[in-house]
Amino acid sequence: MPEEISNTVKSGPAGIAGSWPEHEDTTAKWFLISSIAYFFIVGIIAVTIAAKFVWPSLLGTVQYLTYGRLRPLHVNGMLFGWLLAADMGLTYYLVPRLCGVKLWSEKLGVATAALWNVIVLGAVVCLLMGWNQGLEYAELPLPLDVLVVVAWIMFGANIFMTIASRKYDQMYVSIWYIMGTILWTAFVYLTGNFAVLFATGTNQANLNWMYVHNAVGLIFTPVGLALAYYFIPKASNTPLYSHKLSMIGFWSLAFVYVWTGAHHMLHGPISQWLQTIAIAFSLMLLIPVWAVVYNFFATMKGQWHQLKDNVPLKFLMSGVVFYLLTCFQGPMHSLRSVNAIVSKTDWIPGHAHMAVLGAFSFFAIAGTYFMIPRVFRTRLFSESLGNWSFWFLMLGGLGFFTTLWLGGFWQGWQWNNPAIPFIDTVIALKPVWIVRFFSGILMFLGIVSFAYNIMATIIGAKDNPETAAA
Amino acid sequence: MQQDYVYPSIYFSYFFFALMAAGALYFFLKTWRSGYLGENSEEPKYRMLEDDAPGGQQK
Amino acid sequence: MLRKADTNFGFAIAAALIFFFIGGTLTTIVPPLVDKTWAKPFENSDPAKGPVGQLKPYTDVELKGRAIYVREGCWYCHTQQTRTLLADTKRSGWKGVDSPISTPDEFVYDSPHMFGTKRTGPDLSRVGGKYDTQWHRTHFRNPRDLVPGSIMPPFPWLVANQEEFTAVVAYLQTLGRAKHWRPDNDYEK
Repeated sequence: MPEEISNTVKSGPAGIAGSWPEHEDTTAKWFLISSIAYFFIVGIIAVTIAAKFVWPSLLGTVQYLTYGRLRPLHVNGMLFGWLLAADMGLTYYLVPRLCGVKLWSEKLGVATAALWNVIVLGAVVCLLMGWNQGLEYAELPLPLDVLVVVAWIMFGANIFMTIASRKYDQMYVSIWYIMGTILWTAFVYLTGNFAVLFATGTNQANLNWMYVHNAVGLIFTPVGLALAYYFIPKASNTPLYSHKLSMIGFWSLAFVYVWTGAHHMLHGPISQWLQTIAIAFSLMLLIPVWAVVYNFFATMKGQWHQLKDNVPLKFLMSGVVFYLLTCFQGPMHSLRSVNAIVSKTDWIPGHAHMAVLGAFSFFAIAGTYFMIPRVFRTRLFSESLGNWSFWFLMLGGLGFFTTLWLGGFWQGWQWNNPAIPFIDTVIALKPVWIVRFFSGILMFLGIVSFAYNIMATIIGAKDNPETAAA
Repeated sequence: MQQDYVYPSIYFSYFFFALMAAGALYFFLKTWRSGYLGENSEEPKYRMLEDDAPGGQQK
Repeated sequence: MLRKADTNFGFAIAAALIFFFIGGTLTTIVPPLVDKTWAKPFENSDPAKGPVGQLKPYTDVELKGRAIYVREGCWYCHTQQTRTLLADTKRSGWKGVDSPISTPDEFVYDSPHMFGTKRTGPDLSRVGGKYDTQWHRTHFRNPRDLVPGSIMPPFPWLVANQEEFTAVVAYLQTLGRAKHWRPDNDYEK
């Protein structure tokens, strides 16, 4: 049986050298440029709502700019405007390369990018007007949900057709993860945005939490790991430690993640046995996480010195560390005893930001830093600015995460002592929110330097005669 | 009164863990016997390093 | 098996979907079929079984108020669940009487559900009937006038619009009222 593989695959780099297709990458470019613009714009909103915790009357007389309107805009803008769009753009870049063929349809891809921008702009208008479905992560009104489904089908068809026409039989890890993302997202999104409308109360909440949990677990996690599995070996020019270990990570993720939605309702009005199932499976999440993280660390063995002056690799490996931490927090938080302390506190945004910003946005930023100079056939505008963007985001992120975890525990312990009036637990957290605001400023500076660096690279590529000829 | 589903859920979990352990063992033995667990199935990780024309790469 | 997952496009897709659907079905479709309390409105007339009372559907005005609650994003900072924690039952309590815990049958008419994930302000699952209309008017106009140190944003346009204000207060007064558990000293009565 082992011979099969050597027969079906044109083995070794020598066999494929010189036969690369001419990639256009137009879709990838458009997705990334618009996602970076949203990263910057929504970053302003993020800092504004952090400021509202410190100065609660800020913009308080403008109905369209209250906390309740800006928070969904921040969440949806970052998730769909920035992160998912950037992930899709990078997918359009790496799938054709891993398959050794051109993207199935560049025209369809550009149409998808255009539709995605329509969705994001529509979301801004709707959320500021307060047209909100009232379900977390599913705030967008129904017409926009339908457009998201259409865009996702366009994206999925394009990627699947590319994979189906691939040159090599055996698929690299990133391809499985991307296929998984496309398939699971379809069902997770339909559950969270359409099926919920036919349910009420606890039943609806259960569907809603299945969606919320898996929006992170089966959308951003697999596509983020696809990026990490691609860009860590590429950026360090080191082969991945183990292809087979990555399969354990993938298939256990496929099986375990979807069970855990009810852990958002621990101690709440939902059946105890369902909570127990969610807890058991939350603990099992350690398996896919540690399989993946071990693979990345083992890849870097003997290569850590590269972190010194490799900006994408800095983002990637700190993203891996944050991924490990956030996926340790998650299972621990789902234990009933820990949950009784930290649930519903400021620990929650700390945890959520570490997953979405610390891990998955870091992967996407690294991918952008890696991809943009290559597709525009130029150099990065400034390596040192890239370094600055890393340290701004890193320090801002650490300030944000650590103060909110500690603050969250502190808050939870106070809540569990009913002798303390609620308002005193609010006042006690004010120093935490001040640190959060200044950490937010640091992170925003990181976003600005990242966005400026990329935009200057793109604009500089046009004026560079040497690359224009190439 | 509301029925207590805690114990059935625990038995269900034990059953499920056993089922999964058996499944994992089965797949492991099967792939081991088919010879998949060798070096030659690791090929994609070397190939992906050479997946693009070096033109875009400037160091 | 693993090689097939690795090289066969159709097999990989099928396996990924099957794995997903096992957990997906068992945790979303099956639970409401097993636990009937999720869909049956609360009703109890026997004090031996806990607080008596009955869950009633929302009126039109209350539904309008609920829509405003959703529109203004109140649910981002206020949860609506008294959890099975001693501290929760005390914090949701009133005048020394602990509140009963929230159960699924109290939320049968809620859509969208407002359980919430983040408690920046206090939980509202038992707030109905605790504060009168005048209190809410002053509090919406500027929360810090009544609760120094509060970080709730002011909502002056709610107070200015009599129709919306009446609706939202009507909704707030329904919260947690299905179970009769409190001493008889409601402001509004």
